[in-house]
Amino acid sequence: MPMLERADWYDIARDTNWTPKYVSQEALFPDVMTGAQGVPMAQWQSYDEPYKTSYPEYVRVQREKDAGAYSVKAALERSNIFASADPGWHSILKAHYGSLAVGEYAAMSGEARMVRFGQAPGMRNMATFGMLDENRHAQLQLYYPHDLVSKDRQFDWAQKAYHTNEWAAIAVRHTLDDLFMARSATETAIMLTFAFETGFTNMQFLGLAADAAETGDYTFASLVSSIQTDESRHAQIGGPALEVLIANGRKAEAQKLVDVAIARTWRLFAILTGPSMDYYTPIEHRKQSFKEFMQEWIVGQFERSLIELGLDLPWYWDKMIAEFEFQHHAYHLGLWFWRKTLWWNPAAAVTPECRAWLEEKYPGWNDTFGKCWDVITDNLLAGREDLTHPETLPVLCNMSQIPICAIPGNGWNVKDYPLDYEGRTYHFNSEIDRWVFEQDPVRYRDHMSLVDRFLAGEIQPPTLAGALAYMGLSPAEMGDDAHKYAWADAFRPDPLAKSAA
Amino acid sequence: MSNPKPGDGYRNNRVGPILRASAITEGVIEAAQEDNPGKEIRVEDKVAYVRIEAEGELILRRTTLEETLGRPFKMSELEVNLGSFAGRIETTADYVRFYYDKTL
Repeated sequence: MPMLERADWYDIARDTNWTPKYVSQEALFPDVMTGAQGVPMAQWQSYDEPYKTSYPEYVRVQREKDAGAYSVKAALERSNIFASADPGWHSILKAHYGSLAVGEYAAMSGEARMVRFGQAPGMRNMATFGMLDENRHAQLQLYYPHDLVSKDRQFDWAQKAYHTNEWAAIAVRHTLDDLFMARSATETAIMLTFAFETGFTNMQFLGLAADAAETGDYTFASLVSSIQTDESRHAQIGGPALEVLIANGRKAEAQKLVDVAIARTWRLFAILTGPSMDYYTPIEHRKQSFKEFMQEWIVGQFERSLIELGLDLPWYWDKMIAEFEFQHHAYHLGLWFWRKTLWWNPAAAVTPECRAWLEEKYPGWNDTFGKCWDVITDNLLAGREDLTHPETLPVLCNMSQIPICAIPGNGWNVKDYPLDYEGRTYHFNSEIDRWVFEQDPVRYRDHMSLVDRFLAGEIQPPTLAGALAYMGLSPAEMGDDAHKYAWADAFRPDPLAKSAA
Repeated sequence: MSNPKPGDGYRNNRVGPILRASAITEGVIEAAQEDNPGKEIRVEDKVAYVRIEAEGELILRRTTLEETLGRPFKMSELEVNLGSFAGRIETTADYVRFYYDKTL
């Protein structure tokens, strides 16, 4: 029997709007859940999802994707890639899985909210597939690292991280809660699918896949790029929602949601993808610098699509572009310095060769970040590793939950951006983070950063050991230098004096 | 074309698919050249992904892909390897179109 083409039945099949008889429309779709901003349901009829699929197509295509990802994994299982990969690469995998795997489950809830409370039938339809996508991502990214737990117990943090109060886990949760766990359907469409997914996930799931392929980790390259093919489809939920809001006089509201989402997402990827690309990936396998990937994916592609939809660049555009030069270097320095508080082992990646690469990609690096690494290197060469660990707490940003930091050395621009609100002083990494808080202070005001909790006496005993226990890090899990400081040997004046270690 | 300021990099009209490393990549490049006559198709190979781009609009037709791949091809199969794309997308059973409405 000849089958109808999808286009012949799609519109009628996905139109699941009806007139409720037992409850009011408002009770069925309360504004707090829909986030429709007063735009009547009839206006949402114009919502047209550009990347269409049907259930039979979805099942067929997803089956093929999974078969591909699992077959690459199975084919390479017996190869020695994991064992022979640089410890820096292992750190990328640990940071990736711990930061994102359980977050994918959270994203499934976000998609489910659009399925239930989306104002347009097309949104509800595409979000149904999006929900299934996110389930797939969570399962894949819990399953792959599970195989590695027996080799290295830090991989257990793929499961564990989100269930702890480890500071980086708090930072990720705070961000994702803000972007979609505590948002309406329309806000989720814009902040999760448009800003987070059409924009930034390309950095970690395709940009980093390029580094993975260079490194020879085809299992990871195949996995994350396969995941991104789902994202690429369901991320298209947000665009038409933005167009409906703009067409109905809600451009300012839409712009604000996008600006908040980009600001928050940028921080997360600066600390996750930035060090992964510019430090943890072995230098010979780096496809491009983090800044170059940002130029390619965020400036050249994502921001262009924002203009296309009728929005403006975020007000802080130039400030964010300026941060491409330094913010992730500062985060890297902080991650390495507070390495005992991580579930992965950061690779310092500051050998003479690495420093030359950094100086070439980021002119001035030696004169700024290099100054800090000079001191660290000197201490290591003098046998004083103890001096390379912190003695104090950092000041955490009350928005990103990441230590406040910027350019050290001769380019010093480190500064707190404080705000007094209802008797409490909040601290921020930049004008951008402070602006996000000011948009909805009631939303953010009660959150206590890890350091706030420490100072409030919630972490006992108030020592490093007490803090590590509070964060759920056992001595066998806490981070250390990925290469056990062997990189510092390259700076010893006499090669014959190199340590046997 | 050079961009005086890095933040101005969004001023472009490049559209097209970004494919994962896949068995269809070569066939898609060939089809892009065939289906977009007179347009320069730029290909940027990053090993794990390949950018295939043209100015303003790029169309891929199912019938052309069947020729270049030498096998039956459903348009929805493109998704298996479509890691990302630049521009807007229009998806039909016979073609996929990447485009921008606005020209910058």
